[in-house]
Amino acid sequence: MAIRKDANSLTSAERTELVDAIKVLKAEGVYDQFVLRHANTPMGDIHRCPAFLPWHRRFIWDLERELQRVSGNTDLGLPYWNWPVGGADASMWENDLLGGDGDPITGVVLSGPFREGEWTIVNSSGSAAGSLTRAFGTNGFATLSTQADIEQVLAVTPYDSPPWLAGSAPSFRDQVEGWTGPNLHNRGHVWVGGSMLPMTSPNDPVFFMHHCMVDKVWHEWQLRFPGQGYLPESGATFGQNLTDPMAGTPAGPVGSRPIDVLDSAGLGIEYDRLMPGTPGPVDPGDDEIELAVGAPPTESAIGMPGEIDVYRFEVASFGSYTLQTFGDSDTFMTLFGPDDPTAEVTANDDAGERLNARIVRTLSAGTYHARVRLYDPSRTGAYRIQVVRNSTDGGDAGPVIPELVIDAAATDGVIAVNRESDLFRFVVSVPGNYTVETEGATDMFLTLFGPGSQTDRIASDDDSGVGLNSRIRMFLQAGEYFARVRHFSSFGTGAYRIRVAAG
Amino acid sequence: MAQYSETFQGCLIEIDDDNTLHIDGKRIDPVYDNGRGKWSSRYLPYTEYDSLIDLGQAIVRDTEEFTGDSQ
Repeated sequence: MAIRKDANSLTSAERTELVDAIKVLKAEGVYDQFVLRHANTPMGDIHRCPAFLPWHRRFIWDLERELQRVSGNTDLGLPYWNWPVGGADASMWENDLLGGDGDPITGVVLSGPFREGEWTIVNSSGSAAGSLTRAFGTNGFATLSTQADIEQVLAVTPYDSPPWLAGSAPSFRDQVEGWTGPNLHNRGHVWVGGSMLPMTSPNDPVFFMHHCMVDKVWHEWQLRFPGQGYLPESGATFGQNLTDPMAGTPAGPVGSRPIDVLDSAGLGIEYDRLMPGTPGPVDPGDDEIELAVGAPPTESAIGMPGEIDVYRFEVASFGSYTLQTFGDSDTFMTLFGPDDPTAEVTANDDAGERLNARIVRTLSAGTYHARVRLYDPSRTGAYRIQVVRNSTDGGDAGPVIPELVIDAAATDGVIAVNRESDLFRFVVSVPGNYTVETEGATDMFLTLFGPGSQTDRIASDDDSGVGLNSRIRMFLQAGEYFARVRHFSSFGTGAYRIRVAAG
Repeated sequence: MAQYSETFQGCLIEIDDDNTLHIDGKRIDPVYDNGRGKWSSRYLPYTEYDSLIDLGQAIVRDTEEFTGDSQ
């Protein structure tokens, strides 16, 4: 696993490896693509807004993977600019890593691997725009953030608050970014000056070390406040909510939504050391409260502004379920699953009694996760939460799972709303090879469970069928099987057909 | 219509109606934050300015879009 280190602590060999990798990316044109990705994403979508931190976490993570690719070293970690010890005299500014300050007259960097003649910056159109420039401490901030500044910001909760802009308060994000409070992030850009001032600031490789430090501060805040989540979950401008795709973020090995990058450990990110007062990483599952389907309501409370309670419950079999809160608090609830704590099913504010949240949904078997917060993140309050299986005509049967008959005509289905999935069952009486596949113009994703279980996954497929359809062909023992289909995209809808055939 | 123009570091900065900014004929889309009483622009995402002319001068001085050719 790559460990992100204080840039000042890199060995000579580590410095050479990093600089060489950056220069290979530059020669490939990949480095400049990162500059353009930052420069050409609308400013209001990635700065002065909640997505500021997750957008840049994904951005520098993508560059780190590129550095690992060209160096052939999967343990190469992006170093961080440790501001309190990162002033002009720090070793990270020596000629074997970043080089130093710019010329006092022109600002042009004349030392180190990114000096004039060795490194050309680009403008937002991708055209060459001269040499890298710096002007340490001359643009309004003469000093960098201190450890006390960082500690002050690390104490701020919640993550963000309306109107989700520059100056929002209280807001950890806003204080990290630098519009209120001691100013951590903006200060770093302005202190370096020169090429670090405009939207093309990734032209200076210190950009990535700077944002690595920004990300480390967020990571430590997450460890200090495990009950505090990303905000807003919904209701803000598109691109800023927990499960909105972020602007200018390409498809990749992880998703492009804030929720996809909240867990540093899940991304393989590890830092060489944490600040005093930050607890070590914990398993997110440790903080979840178990709910039993059908049990009496569980007493709970939002004890701190911005706190989010996380619940987990098991659905043993396909059916209709109700998850709801009770009490005098104005709760907001989001449901995730099955078997994926990042896959949002739906969210609700006030469908319950008074201002309570209530979700009624047909659920496949699996593990589900519910996040509960108060609608107003500045408030606290008690509530109760319960999940029950809904009865139909007095019984407990719930909805019937549509059955697929082997070798019969395809069955029609439709994904009508975002994140919907459909479940089908079929029975294999003779062991052998069988093909389950979808048909039509919709990009489908198919998962097969069984035998005799709605939760034991045996295969998944995206596009092995015709066009963008799914196809699973495999040997099946006799038994009952379940096929769950969804659109490949969380935000996709469309009609499809599904069939099972012997052979 | 209130108009103002000046040449700064070789670039023509033009301001109309205290809300429209052009630099060398290129339209800049400044953003005014009513709550903070400051101007900002996508060109300079880490700073904000008290006036449009301050913003225009900073864009000319600090961005590659208008200074790169002179280096």
